[in-house]
Amino acid sequence: MFERYRFSSPYDEMLDSEKNIRPQWQRMFENLDRLGIEQLQAKQKEIDWRLEDNGVTYNVYNDPSGISRPWRLDPIPFVIDENEWKMIESGLQQRAKILDMLYRDIYSEQRVIKEGIIAPEIIYAHSGFIRQMVNMKKHTSAALRIYAADMARGPDGKMWIINDRTQAPSGLGYAVENRLTMNSVMQDLLNDISIKRLYSFFESFKSMLQELNPHHKGEPLHVLLSPGPHNETYFEHAYLSSFLGLTLVQGQDLLAKNGGIWLKSLKGLRRVDAILRRVDEGYCDPLELRSDSQLGVSGLVHAVRKNGVEMVNPLGCGVLENLGLNPFMPYLARYYLQEELILPQIATWWCGQKKERDYVLENLERLIIKKIDQSEGHHIYDGKRLSKEEVQNLREKILKEPYLFVGQDEVQFATTPTLIKDSIEPRKAVIRSFAIAREGKYDVMPGGLVRVGATNDPLMVSGQTGGSSKDLWILGEPGEFPSINLFKPKIGAESSLETIPSLRAENLFWLGRYLTRAIMTARMIRITVKYMANAYRYDQRFNPVAQNVLRKALTHMTMSYPGFLGEGDQEVKNAMEEIWSVTAYERRSGSLSYTLRMLSGANTSTKNLLSLEAWRIFDRLEREWGAFSKEKQPIPRSMISGLDRLLIQLMAYKELIKESLFTEQGLTLYEIGERIEHSLLLISKARSILTLSYDPLGEYEVLETLLGTCESLNAYRAHYRSSLELRNVTEFLLLDIKFPKSLISELDHLLKAFPHLPKFRHASYLSGYEKPIFEAFSMLRLSKIDVLCTLNPDEYIRSELDTLLSEITERLIRASNELSQTYFAHYYE
Amino acid sequence: MVYHIYHNTQFSYQQWVSFSHNLVRLKPRNTPVQTVVDFSLSVDPAATETDEYNDYFGNHLHHLLVREPHALLNVIAKSCVAIDKEAIEALDIRRELSLSLSVEEAMKRLSYRTPESIDAKQYTLRSPLLVPASEGLEAYARLSFHPERSLYLSIQEFMGRIFEDFKFVPGFSNLSTPVDEVFEAKKGVCQDFAHLAITALRSLGLPTRYMSGYIETIPPKGEDKLFGSDASHAWFSVYLPELGWFDFDPTNNIVPRDQHILLGFGRDYSDISPIQGVVQGSGLSHLNVMVDVSREEVKE
Repeated sequence: MFERYRFSSPYDEMLDSEKNIRPQWQRMFENLDRLGIEQLQAKQKEIDWRLEDNGVTYNVYNDPSGISRPWRLDPIPFVIDENEWKMIESGLQQRAKILDMLYRDIYSEQRVIKEGIIAPEIIYAHSGFIRQMVNMKKHTSAALRIYAADMARGPDGKMWIINDRTQAPSGLGYAVENRLTMNSVMQDLLNDISIKRLYSFFESFKSMLQELNPHHKGEPLHVLLSPGPHNETYFEHAYLSSFLGLTLVQGQDLLAKNGGIWLKSLKGLRRVDAILRRVDEGYCDPLELRSDSQLGVSGLVHAVRKNGVEMVNPLGCGVLENLGLNPFMPYLARYYLQEELILPQIATWWCGQKKERDYVLENLERLIIKKIDQSEGHHIYDGKRLSKEEVQNLREKILKEPYLFVGQDEVQFATTPTLIKDSIEPRKAVIRSFAIAREGKYDVMPGGLVRVGATNDPLMVSGQTGGSSKDLWILGEPGEFPSINLFKPKIGAESSLETIPSLRAENLFWLGRYLTRAIMTARMIRITVKYMANAYRYDQRFNPVAQNVLRKALTHMTMSYPGFLGEGDQEVKNAMEEIWSVTAYERRSGSLSYTLRMLSGANTSTKNLLSLEAWRIFDRLEREWGAFSKEKQPIPRSMISGLDRLLIQLMAYKELIKESLFTEQGLTLYEIGERIEHSLLLISKARSILTLSYDPLGEYEVLETLLGTCESLNAYRAHYRSSLELRNVTEFLLLDIKFPKSLISELDHLLKAFPHLPKFRHASYLSGYEKPIFEAFSMLRLSKIDVLCTLNPDEYIRSELDTLLSEITERLIRASNELSQTYFAHYYE
Repeated sequence: MVYHIYHNTQFSYQQWVSFSHNLVRLKPRNTPVQTVVDFSLSVDPAATETDEYNDYFGNHLHHLLVREPHALLNVIAKSCVAIDKEAIEALDIRRELSLSLSVEEAMKRLSYRTPESIDAKQYTLRSPLLVPASEGLEAYARLSFHPERSLYLSIQEFMGRIFEDFKFVPGFSNLSTPVDEVFEAKKGVCQDFAHLAITALRSLGLPTRYMSGYIETIPPKGEDKLFGSDASHAWFSVYLPELGWFDFDPTNNIVPRDQHILLGFGRDYSDISPIQGVVQGSGLSHLNVMVDVSREEVKE
């Protein structure tokens, strides 16, 4: 199985230069050998399946299809010997300590600059230096609570530091999932091997968070601030928040007032004690930081200034992710700790100094040039791959702002055995390790996230470019056994309706509305197409009036004006073409594809509440509808079958939502959304169809079709046992409280659903969203069907009915807005 | 002598705004030359929360949270600033002293590590609105600077050239107009000239900062001054090693003495914009500003 294992780097994890197996790899080699390549491939399949089944994904930015990539894990771990790890551990602790002291210094006295240990430009020219943070806070203990570093083994066999990660390091969740997957699939490799457990590290991670309670009042509320479902590591945000017991939020979930940060939840505003942030600091507050940010909370910096909230890591840590610091790290170690730097780094020359700049400029063609600040895109230039002209441009850039650049030696990092298809090959690997501040020292995770490149390209491996990952095994005593299952998602943090974040509640509400709109629109189109296709079936019964009414009803319902209401130049020439446009053109507001896109947004935002089956069916629906709707205008028969398929999938999705959502998770909101939308669309249809008068034949056809769009024809027949009459149909669809799909039943259900909402008060007076529905309900209840159906001689529509329906619409919209104000916006609290 | 400054800013929004955080930088800072003797800020609708603090640069800030639904936000700042004649005379003397510092000598001294020169260093780097100067602009500036010449006089000459070469034309530029465009078109307003001068002088290695404030205007002979006919003003200031900061006003080709009132300073306009707000909800806003500066002689 190692036939294709050839050296491609000066150092290999498994083999020494004589091709002997290194001692720490001896047992792993034997275990792998015993397992054999076929077994190993089978294991890889099982790993892939498990990761997919657990929904472990990694989103790829700028991917137009927005598809998330499955996470990949190699079955062969990266192995580090216990003694070496002790040295690495102390090196990481030291580095974290230096950076923490540097942070506290540059955001207060700046002694390190004043005393000439580092040049001012390294700090002042870095976009991560946030001036607002200077002298804002006195840190009595560590400010840098989480520290991560990327490491790789250099040609000398030592672990080298490549990058520091201090802002909002990612990878922890993937590292945990990797370990859990390895535990369940790769027990064979643990034969005679003992490795360190991750348990105690996460225990202390949790304790660290627990202690962040600036107000010492009751159970602290901690949130994980995420940029949202489109972020590349959103899976991890959901995963971490669940097992650390944090509420997962986005910027819109929070607001700043009274010197603090508040979570908008259905119950009302709740004070936030600490924010574990995964939003880059520049984007955290549009008021004081980047004004173009949509991800932050306006007023957050001020809340920090007023000591109202703890941030992990604090704002301003980004300046520590700074390659300009590299050459000065040995001096900083001596300055702050009177120690020598333990872990080596890549040789780095900072161009802000003359001698170093001259060296870099002389050696541009062989060095790797980087910006000290990698926060705004990766600025990495590989000297030997640049053209003459590019070298010249780079030279000019460096000369203009030398302090923004460093030059680094190109390093051949070590390779490690990796399963590639049907053989084991050497691949370069980068390790991300994590440390957290606890009681005056840093605890280092005895493991980490290892990333390996897709190819053997010497330039860096990254999650964005494909490739795979590995678990990191530190040989040695396993340490404490967990007393409870730490990694099981914690239930309780968000299990009550009162505490769910308002944004999620709002998305559930819209999920209900869009799903209902999609289903009703699809049905309406389907029936219209079918009616038109059958129009010539019975020669005499061809009825242009009925067709016209249906088409206009479709335009009204989708609000895709002018549509079939167009006159003069705007008159529709080809009816099928117009219908296809309302069906398929995603850019046309109101079209079915447009509604499905909105639904897709609501689906993404509520994804972590829904079951995996629901995701799958929706993914499939999107894929199939996407392909169908991009076709050339199909013949009516294919259009109908495409819509049929869509309807089946939508109905299945709807069932799965109802099955997987608990009332506590906001099912009520989903249902309220559903009912409001259904009422509005039912009214729209009724206004376009029931207010008109027809000849007997036309009336019959129109009513039959209308009941068809409501899937209510059979119910009507069972109830009335009579032929279709406008008066009866109107009564049935609008006023019949025994028919569950009638308008009055929907309003009745809404009134019954409201008391389940957390802020509902059983008071003598109705709340703002209750009142309009109550009015609408009463108006319907007090109506007389004969009055509604009266057609005055000088009128061409039934004005009593039309007026009533328009007043009810207005009330539904008012109730919807009031609900938003009360539960989602919270500006008045 | 005291100045009375009235500064009214009005935002009108297309939609009702019910929750907005605002940063207001309308209270002048104290300097050796000027002392704020009275200041009031009124906001309509009234702010539910008001906080006051100094920023990194030492400028005064008010943080306001307005929670009453509004479509119009009105902010009125009234300041009364006393000008110290003696401090102006002391400044004149310092200016005399600075004349003998040559460009070459200044450059050498700028590299010495003193607390002042370290702080000044950040005003030589790129800033949020100002990228490094183009070759053309750098060359344009360099014409006034010869190694053996007085640095102060070089800057003064450079200021004069901007005044001569550029036309004051309102409406040509806005906040996001790059310096290069202003340099090409040779026109703009005070803010553009300040930004242009700052960019140019930074390219020569001189620490230069953006000054925001007001200037007293005097109506043509025989005419009365109309209330509210003034505007915000901007100029620049350069750090001369061991001598401190010196102000220059390229829009009027004068060295500010007792007609300029400073609100605050920063690396560029973005550090010291008078009002910044974030409103919830979309919709554009329209801004209306009215400023009045009037002098009152006080018997001493």
